[in-house]
Formats: sequence, C-alpha cells, structure tokens
Amino acid sequence: MKNRILVVEDDAAIRDAVLLNLQFADYDTVAFDDGKKAAEALESDHAYDLALLDIMLPGMDGFELFGLMEQYSIPVIYMTAKTDSASEIKGLRDGAEDYIVKPFDPLTLMVRVEKVLKRVGKWNAVYRVRDVVVNTETHTVTKDGEPVELQPLEFDVLIALLRHKNMTISRERMLNEVWGFDYLGETRMVDVKISALRKKLGLEDAIRAIHKIGYRLEER
Amino acid sequence: MKLSNRITLLVSIVLVAIILGVSFSLLLYVKNATLSLSIEQVQRKQQNLRTSFSEMACFYARTDDSDAVHDSLIKLCFARFSDQYGVLLRDGTEMVSSVVVDPSAYVPSNSEAFSKGTPVAVTVRGRNLLIAGSHASVGGRSYDVYVVEDVTEVHSGIRRMAWIFAGVSVMAITFGAMAVTLLVRRSTKPITLLSDAAKEIADGAYEKRVEVRTKDEIGSLSEDFNRMADAVETKISELEECNERQRLFIGGVTHEFKTPLTGLLLHAGLLRWAYLSENERNASLEHIELQTAWLERLTQNLLKLTTSDDEIELQSIYIPDLLIEVKDGIEPKLNECGATLSVKCETEMLTLNPELIRSLLNNLIVNAANAYDADAVEKPITLTVSGKTFSVADRGRGIPKDAQSRLFEPFFRVDKSRSRKQGGSGLGLALVKAIADAHGADIIVDSEEGKGTTVSVTLP
Repeated sequence: MKNRILVVEDDAAIRDAVLLNLQFADYDTVAFDDGKKAAEALESDHAYDLALLDIMLPGMDGFELFGLMEQYSIPVIYMTAKTDSASEIKGLRDGAEDYIVKPFDPLTLMVRVEKVLKRVGKWNAVYRVRDVVVNTETHTVTKDGEPVELQPLEFDVLIALLRHKNMTISRERMLNEVWGFDYLGETRMVDVKISALRKKLGLEDAIRAIHKIGYRLEER
Repeated sequence: MKLSNRITLLVSIVLVAIILGVSFSLLLYVKNATLSLSIEQVQRKQQNLRTSFSEMACFYARTDDSDAVHDSLIKLCFARFSDQYGVLLRDGTEMVSSVVVDPSAYVPSNSEAFSKGTPVAVTVRGRNLLIAGSHASVGGRSYDVYVVEDVTEVHSGIRRMAWIFAGVSVMAITFGAMAVTLLVRRSTKPITLLSDAAKEIADGAYEKRVEVRTKDEIGSLSEDFNRMADAVETKISELEECNERQRLFIGGVTHEFKTPLTGLLLHAGLLRWAYLSENERNASLEHIELQTAWLERLTQNLLKLTTSDDEIELQSIYIPDLLIEVKDGIEPKLNECGATLSVKCETEMLTLNPELIRSLLNNLIVNAANAYDADAVEKPITLTVSGKTFSVADRGRGIPKDAQSRLFEPFFRVDKSRSRKQGGSGLGLALVKAIADAHGADIIVDSEEGKGTTVSVTLP
C-alpha cells in the first residue's frame, strides 16, 4: 500500500509541482484548489495518511479545514507564505504536525513529509523499484523474491535514491543524507556504493549517473 | 549659570549700588550740614566775643592808664565775655586763656583765615577743634581774639550715624536680595515648567502640555508651546499611521511575491533535477512563463501605485475623445470574454490627467467584466460620464457588504482564487483609489449581491 496524501493548494503552479514531487516519491495523491470542495469530498473519502494544506484558501481556509482533518485523524503540514509568528503559533498549537514556509524546495518538502508519516506511524515501510523490494522496517532487500545482502551504507544510499525517485541527487546531498555530515573531498565514497548497488540489484540502467552532478534512480 | 540666578545677581548688584549710593550721599550731606553749622556757630561766637570785648575795653580804657591798669582792664573785659573758650593774645603773648592749646600755632595772625575771621578745623591730641581768630584794637594796641571750640562730640556723632547708616543699609540689602530672589524664582518658574515639558516631549511623551495661565509674555509663550506640541503630536501620529500602512503594504507585497516565487522555484527545481516526460517539461515551462508574467504585472502596478503619489499634471481634455480611446483600447480584451461596453457621455471638457484617468477607467472596466460568471450569456458594461462623474456599471455578482469597506486595500480580493485565475494582481482598485486621490476625486461604490455594481468617481 502506498501512502495517500491530500493536497489543498489554490495556486496551480505550486500544486502541480508538489503533486509531481510526491508522485516521484511513490505517493498516491489527491488535490483540490478550493477549501470548500476539499471539505465536501472528505465526507465520502477520508482515507488519507497526510494532508498538505495552504492557509490562504478560497472557500474555506487552512485553519478551518484543520478541524475536519482532526475529526478524521489526518496529520497536517501547512504550506504557508505567512511568516509572521502569529499564524505559525496558531497552526502548531492547534496540533498541526509541521509547517513549511513558501518558498520552499521540493527535497525539503519530501523529507518533512516522510518525517511526519514516520512520527504518526503511518509510514509505508516498503519501497519497490522494478523487481526489487526494500523493506525499511526489517532492513531487508529482495530481488525477484530472493534476498540480497547489502552493507548498511549501501542500504542507506539505496533508500536515499528511492526517497527522491526520478530526482537527481548530488553527491554532496547524498553524503549529507547518508553519512549525516559534509564529507567534503570524499565524494568517491558515493560512487563506490552506487556501483556496488548497481551490481547486486541489477539496476545498472535504472541508476543513472548525471554528468558532473550525481545520480538519479529512474522509473517512469 | 541659571537665568534666575543671573537675574537675581544683577538685580542684587543694582540694589546694593542704589542703597549704598543713597546712604553714602545722605551721610555726606548730614555731615557737611552739621559741620558747617558748627563752623558758623564758632565764627559768630568769635565775632560776638571780639565785638563785645573791644567795645567794652574801649569804653573803659583811658589813655592815661598805666600799663598795669590797662592790662587788668583788658583781662577783666575779656574774661567777662570769653567764657570757657576764648584766648587773648597781645603781640603773640598769651594774656587770657581758658584752653590748653595755643591757637596762634594753628591759625597765625598773618594767615588769610585770621584776617577774615574764618574758623579752621584742626585735630589736637585726638580732639577735633575749631579755631577762629581776628584782630581787635584797644587804646592803640593790637590784640588777637581767638575762639577755640571742641567739636569732637559732633564728629563722633557723625561717626555713630555712619555706623547706623551702614547697619540699616546691610539690612536693607539683605531683605532686598531675599525679596528679589523670591520674585525672580516666582517669575521664572513657568520657564522651568516649559523647559521640563520640552524635555519630556523630546523623550517621547508627545501628549505632555504645560499649564501656565499668566497674562504676560511667558503665558503667551506657553500657549504657543502647547500649540506647537499639538502640531508635533498630530504630525507624529500621522507619521506613525503612515509607517504602519507602509509596513502592512510591504508585508502584503512580500506575501504577494511569495506565491509566484514558490511556483517558479519548484518548477525550476523540477526542470533541473527531475526525470520529466515531454508533457511534464512543457507544463513546467508554461507555469514558469505564467508566473513570471504575473510577477511582471505585479511590479508594473506597484510602480504605478508608488509613482501616482507624485504631483500630477492636469490638462483640459475633450472627454468624448478620451472615452473613444478607452473603448478602442479595451474592446479586444472584452470581446475575448464576451463582454460588451456601451458608452454614454454628457460632458465635453474636464480638467484631469488623461493617462491616469484612462488607467483608472480600464481597471474599473476590467473589474466590471470579471464581475460576471465566466459562462454568463450577456455581460453588459456601461460607462457613463455626466457632469464631473465617471461611472462604470455592471450587472454581475455584486460585492458582499462586509467586503465593500476593504475594497481599495492593496491585495484585498473578494474572491481570491477567481481573481488569481483572471490574472488580477490585487492592486487594480488600490490603483484606482490612488489615481482618484491624486485628482482629489471621490469614489462611491454602490453594489448589491446578485444585482451588480456601480463605481462612480467624481472629480472636484
């Protein structure tokens, strides 16, 4: 089961970009451009693992929508252009899981989404790419049903690629996400792990090297 | 030095000078008068003595008297009148004397004072004496008649009086100085109050006023001061209000910029980092194009809004021509969405800035067109000019009552999503208001939900 995410954002450009990013990372998405429409649709379908809400919405604003989300116990992340602390405090005191201030970059949004899902225990621990299945809970990887042995760092690099599927990950960002700090000058470490992964999982053509930047796990 | 101290000091110095001057000259006058009185007395005494003595001596003296008889007669006659103060000399030799001094030593018989009989003041062994003398002739013999008067008492009386004068002067000066200090304090107190109030105002207590109700220059200064404080307070609160409006406006601008910027950032990120299909790539590029165009419109309007505050140039304009320009300019846009514009004009000439008014009318007409639902069958808009009033009317959705008061605020939108879709920057009506304000014109919005809206702008 993929995680299902509700997006309510009235600006088409932002909505489309967020949806695309979520879909790349293997989330199912449903989107609305109007608060009222979203509220009406919730009555019949409220099986969401997370809601991303804009605050200034036509029809019904993000804070109002939050009441409904609580009713269906859907965790909420606000996407807001309001930086004044008053709205942040109101949003978080009301129980929103997190908020992200516009303008934001897509990778940060993905990390926040994953964190919230994990915190509320709705995180879907299983990634799939082609015939490879990765279970982040049991730390097991199977290829075509057969278990594959991976070193811990190889496993983490694989998760980073899966988390940002179809997005280019620079070697620096990879170091940051996997090794946890800037490993400047040691970007070759990434190349070593990638080539091991390619070999062990038969993903030579799926994990693409992007010239002078990094790697991208492609699956469309 | 404080002003009050300086005034006190100055007045005190003048006071001291006056008191000292008056008492000194008074003292001098009294001294002279007393002394000349005693001199006169002594002179008269001497004259009496001489006359009485010489008359009596001449009466009794006989030419055949022996020297001894003559001397005795002279002595008797002199003693008869000389009392305690006369001295009689013959040829420089003392014949009769009732005093211890020799007057001829001080007033010699050949001196001028002697020949006139004028008294001469001398001090002998600490005593003040007046000595007057003159000749007297008895029986062919010459006598010197002197009067010696002790005036020490008169002098010490004058000295005593000088001390009393000094004491009285010191007292007068002391009391005078105290009175001056109090008076000066009292009359400079309002100045201190003014100064304190000015300090408080400078420290930000703009509501501070002084309460001085005297009818002098300081009173009128206080009134002027309070008037000035009023003006400062009003100006400051105006500035604060203006500042607050500015702050809100900048906040609005920032917020308004963030939405298109977020879209731009996200789509630029997708194009750079993501593995996109051809369709997705085109969609992203289109989003970027639209968001950029929106930002461009936003900055254009912001620029117009900030420059419309400047002094505007007014011209006398033939209105029907202006309306034709407006209609021609906007018709293609209206045709696109199916709206029709009818123009009625009952005015010929008006004084205005044609470019700004064109922009104002364009904005109102675009708003009127957007007041209709997209699928409305008919979208009639009327532009009427009558007298000095421009009116733009539609029969669209109308504006909710609670939104009408905020209509002209920058970035206020009655319906956010619809306005955005129609490409509104949220500044159209703010611009209309700014242009109307620049002309000194009034705006009236007459709107009913479901029936339509009429916006009228009346030039002064």
